[in-house]
Amino acid sequence: MRRHMLVGGAARRLIGPFLGSPEGRPFPPNNNNNPFERSLRQLSGAGALPQLTKDRYPQVKRRDFAELNEKHLGYFKNLLGENRVITDKDECQGFNIDWLKSVRGYSQCILKPKTTQEVSEILKFCNDNRIAVCPQGGNTGLVGGSVPVFDEVVLWTGLMNDIISLDENSGVLVCQSGCILENLENFADERDLMIPLDLGAKGSCHIGGNISTNAGGLRLLRYGNLHGSVLGVEAVKADGEVIDCTSALKKDNTGYHLKHLFIGSEGTLGVVTKVAIQCPPKPRALNVAFLGLESFDDVLACLRQAKRQLGEILSSCELIDNPSLDAVTSHLNLKSPISVYPFYMLIETHGSSCDHDEEKMHGFLESCMSDGLVRDGTTTNEIGKMKAIWELRESITEGLLHDGYVFKYDISLPTREFYSLVPVMRERVKDAVRVCGYGHLGDGNIHLQVTLKEFNEEVLRIIEPFIYEYTAKLRGSVSAEHGVGFRKPKYIHYSKSPGAINLMKQLKVMMDPKGILNPYKVIP
Amino acid sequence: MDDYKFLFKVVLVGNAGVGKTCLVRRFTQGLFPPGQGATIGVDFMIKTVEVGNEKVKLQIWDTAGQERFRSITQSYYRSAHALILVYDISSQPTFDCLPDWLREIEEYASNKVLRILVGNKIDREDREIPADVGEEFAERHNMYYLETSAKESDNVEKLFMQIAEDLMKQARTRDLPRYDSNNQTLDGKTSTISDSSCCSRLQ
Ligand SMILES: Cc1cc2nc3c(=O)[nH]c(=O)nc-3n(C[C@H](O)[C@H](O)[C@H](O)COP(=O)(O)OP(=O)(O)OC[C@H]3O[C@@H](n4cnc5c(N)ncnc54)[C@H](O)[C@@H]3O)c2cc1C
Ligand SMILES: Nc1nc2c(ncn2[C@@H]2O[C@H](COP(=O)(O)OP(=O)(O)OP(=O)(O)O)[C@@H](O)[C@H]2O)c(=O)[nH]1
Ligand SMILES: [Mg+2]
Repeated sequence: MRRHMLVGGAARRLIGPFLGSPEGRPFPPNNNNNPFERSLRQLSGAGALPQLTKDRYPQVKRRDFAELNEKHLGYFKNLLGENRVITDKDECQGFNIDWLKSVRGYSQCILKPKTTQEVSEILKFCNDNRIAVCPQGGNTGLVGGSVPVFDEVVLWTGLMNDIISLDENSGVLVCQSGCILENLENFADERDLMIPLDLGAKGSCHIGGNISTNAGGLRLLRYGNLHGSVLGVEAVKADGEVIDCTSALKKDNTGYHLKHLFIGSEGTLGVVTKVAIQCPPKPRALNVAFLGLESFDDVLACLRQAKRQLGEILSSCELIDNPSLDAVTSHLNLKSPISVYPFYMLIETHGSSCDHDEEKMHGFLESCMSDGLVRDGTTTNEIGKMKAIWELRESITEGLLHDGYVFKYDISLPTREFYSLVPVMRERVKDAVRVCGYGHLGDGNIHLQVTLKEFNEEVLRIIEPFIYEYTAKLRGSVSAEHGVGFRKPKYIHYSKSPGAINLMKQLKVMMDPKGILNPYKVIP
Repeated sequence: MDDYKFLFKVVLVGNAGVGKTCLVRRFTQGLFPPGQGATIGVDFMIKTVEVGNEKVKLQIWDTAGQERFRSITQSYYRSAHALILVYDISSQPTFDCLPDWLREIEEYASNKVLRILVGNKIDREDREIPADVGEEFAERHNMYYLETSAKESDNVEKLFMQIAEDLMKQARTRDLPRYDSNNQTLDGKTSTISDSSCCSRLQ
């Protein structure tokens, strides 16, 4: 399977703490040739810094939190030791800028706890002293939620990377929240299991970040979302109290299901410190097909066929339009295995018997061809080629960054309307370098992207709020899987009722009365 | 759906490096790809041609010659209407392997399948298999025979057009299932074919 090939044997190093790079960058040492890692280094090396958030968004005012002083720093250093409190300006930089380089805070203090106890003491102190805190994992979030807006202290989970246990009977893995997703994948893989979550950022993102954003990813279609596969969570509330919901049971209806509060709340209700996640058995048979299609109607028909004919083995069904693929082939020098079409589909199967799956795949492809849906394509179960095909899909986010500035929208729409926004937007934003759409077709979740040479306020006003109104009209979601973060609080009313938003506010006040946890984010 | 009267599935097999992919690309795209790499898995494409006044769709499956890159090996034979078995006229080993390929074809393909033996790369000066040796082999095994050059575009068009015409003739005499896009039963017929291709072993 694909993740075999990315890293060989790295998981062995994982038993016991897996330390971050010596310079204390928020990114893990490069132990593979994941394209994602490449881009992180390129990005951090590249010159131009994004404008400070406080200057780009002057309407957002710093709330009445304490300014960090020597006494505060003294407390942190006493608690964590000098090495785990970063105050050097250059070292802080990486923690202040998001992956998309769309926002920049000016925090002068990065804290690197190793244990739940340390997180608890940090939060208690911050709460008592009204110090605002921004929890950060792999800093791959795409809505500006993972970096400070002003000078919030960054609580980085990267040193909380112990894998605590794996029950090979139940498949339940328990670990600290700072484990990098790919390392968990390798660890599970060696034990014939898999992590039910996979996404392009896996080389950097932390499982705690995934849980806090309720990340969806490439196989949600098959393995469901984290509300199902996360069995338990341990989190620390703003006042430092540790809430232990790490039941590793599949079934446990004793009272309210509190763990769900921490899944997808983006660090506004507590800091996730520990996770119990259910790992399904690793599939024995994998097949990937990459198809070229002429129209979105053909895409829809092909999706229906895939569901019908591949049914229980279908594990991923992704759509890529031609401009999206072009971002990868022209900027990143990857090669498409087929010729140029307006649409491409990437279809993957996970099953338990090679012959059986191959026959199904073949039957599916043959009927798509016979119906004239698929013009050109390739299918394989060879590891290297499957990886190369997946790389095309997973590198789109990175490829688009090379256009300049990217406006990213992550929208759920009824499947019929999945692609309808793209041509509409292309018509509206005439000056765009590129308007494209790709994403999780099987889940009705499209990533619509508008790229410009550089950020432009006017273009932003052409896109927003139009795009949200359009989505609301179709009863879609204005944020399907990336969350709300800093960029979207004022738009959640397009997808949430006033009553629901009100209850969110009440929960926030109850769990974090002083509002120190990830302020200016999520709650409108 | 576009209008076409016939849809045929054509599968290319043969040793690695004999030029299967180049033949297909010459035919479908009109070019000779420089530095063509080995096929991994199976590539498939549609090419519509006209025979007489009728549109015929060819569904072309280009398979991997290298054993380790081959997948869904058996199922693609089963529903093929035509099989193109390719060797390289400048490489004795690719010719010597033909009996192995035939055994596989006998085992998996329908006995009605149209079989064509193709000696490719006739532009090369270092021929090892004389044309009459290839032809004699084809005759003995009840196959059509054609020599081609994907590089010089010799006989490539002819190869596929011949197949289309032949299959059409067969279809007219009802030896083959007939696909008619204007016909409501298209779906039914299509699934008859895939039924026999993928489910007969399971049921
Ligand atoms: C190339 C690329 C591909 C992506 N693909 C997908 C995809 O397919 N599906 C998808 O859903 N997302 C995708 N994402 C975005 C996704 O949200 C993140 O990649 C990931 O889930 C965030 O994890 P992280 O550790 O980087 O969290 P961060 O970015 O560090 O943080 C994200 C949010 O969670 C909070 N947070 C982080 N850790 C904790 C914690 N321990 N406790 C409390 N709060 C915390 C932060 O404050 C922030 O609000 C992609 C991103 C990239 C760059
Ligand atoms: N001179 C000459 N070379 C050819 C011709 N056809 C193919 N080649 C060369 O032969 C090599 C292999 O061609 P491919 O088309 O990849 O062979 P294949 O049969 O598809 O190989 P696999 O995919 O590994 O099974 C390439 O280097 C081509 O350039 C031809 O007609 N003449
Ligand atoms: Mg080939």
